[in-house]
Order: sequence, then structure tokens, then C-alpha cells
Amino acid sequence: MEMLLMGAALAMFGLAVSCLAFGAATHEEPVMEQEPALGKEAVKAAAVNARFFAAVPALPVAAANRVPIEALLLQIENHVRLEQAAAACFLESPSADVLHGRTISPLVN
Amino acid sequence: MIDAELLKGLPPAEAERVLALGKRLLLTAGAELFHLGDAAGSLYLVARGRVRLTLPMQVRHHEEDILVEECSSGQTVGWSALIPPHRFTLTAAVPLETEVIALGREALNAYFAAHPDTGYAVSVNLASVIGQRLQLFQAMWLREVQRMVESRCA
Repeated sequence: MEMLLMGAALAMFGLAVSCLAFGAATHEEPVMEQEPALGKEAVKAAAVNARFFAAVPALPVAAANRVPIEALLLQIENHVRLEQAAAACFLESPSADVLHGRTISPLVN
Repeated sequence: MIDAELLKGLPPAEAERVLALGKRLLLTAGAELFHLGDAAGSLYLVARGRVRLTLPMQVRHHEEDILVEECSSGQTVGWSALIPPHRFTLTAAVPLETEVIALGREALNAYFAAHPDTGYAVSVNLASVIGQRLQLFQAMWLREVQRMVESRCA
């Protein structure tokens, strides 16, 4: 009888632990419920700003001064190439929009 | 034979004769072909490889050669050799092993005097090369001015 009671108590304890674990796993965070619009907007903004191979954040002046000279020279060279490509596009199909089309150069963004 | 923009429209045999006036130069990576301010006695057709044209610019109080243009096979560099005052206005160097054909001004002028049709065709091609580059840099310059106006008036 004692063994039966002990088994029943253990079974009840196991069931209670399982219920708590299930409850914790399926519980939704109230904060996420309150700010879904903000989260979606942030993701949308990030997606709009992200460009493959081109997500180069603008550096503050102090940080820019710490950029090695070799890296800076490469940035300048890259900028010149992009500007030449943009100018060549303008010569192929001349229009004001194409002439002032933006490039992804970090030196001007 | 190289497909040179300077010889476009010439019969192949005639283009060969013009090329025969030149001398092939093999440049190792890093070699300088000509320097800003040098007297320009020859123009160069790029046979293979690449030529970087640069101008000096102050970057963090150091003078650095900044890429202005890059020319590859078939393109012409150093046309100052044919246009007075015959001074190079850029520095040309090669980033990798490059072969060019150097055409001296005196040899070209003598040949063109004897073969005016060829001289005319080459002059038209040269004007076309210079005109395209002028238009390209004109557009680049205006883009910079636009940015300057935007930053000053922002």
C-alpha cells in the first residue's frame, strides 16, 4: 500500500513538472505582444537599408581617422571606379536622373 | 595584332604598318611608364596587361598617387605625345606585367605626312578617345559639384 501511494505521489509530481515545463515552453512574452509594429518596422528598415556586399556603415570622424591609410586609399580608388561607372552610364543614356544617380561609395554616403 | 582603338577603321595591312613604327616594351609589375610633367615623346598602345593612370593627392598630409583611370588591352595612353605642349599630365604605372607598343611622335608624324589618309583616320580616332574621356570626366566633375552644393546647402 505504501509502495502504491509512493508511486502515485511520484506520478503526480512528474505530471506537475511536465505541466510546468509545457506551460513555460508555450508561454508568449507580453512585451512582444505590445510592440509588434515597432519590431516589424525595425526589420523593414533594416531590410531596406541592407544591400548585398554594400552594407558599409558610415564611420564617425574619429573612427574614420583610425582607418589605415591603405584601406582609405582603397576606398578612394573604389569611389573613383564607381564614379566612372556612373558617368559612363550617363554617357550611354544621358538624362539628369542618370547623371546624379547615387552610388554605394562609402565616401559620399 | 592588337585591336587598338587608335587604329580603328584602318585596313589591317595599314594598321600593321603603323604598329611596325613602334617598339614593344615589356614592363614588370610596379614599373612606371611615364611620370607627371615628363616630356611626352611617345604614345603607347596597351598590347596586354593594364596601365594605371594616377594623379597626386594629399591624403592625411602625405602625397599619394590616386587612380584616375585604368587602361587595358587595345587602349591608348599618353596621347600628350601628339598634342602640344607634349607634357604628360598623369603618371602611368603598371600593376601587373604589361606589354605596350611605344609609338614615337617623330616617326608617327613622318608617316602621317607621307600617308595623310592614315594620319586623318588616326587623328579622328584620337579625337574620339580624347572626346570620350572629356565627357566622362565632365560628368564625374558635375557629380562632385552636385554633392558639394548639397552638402553646403543642406
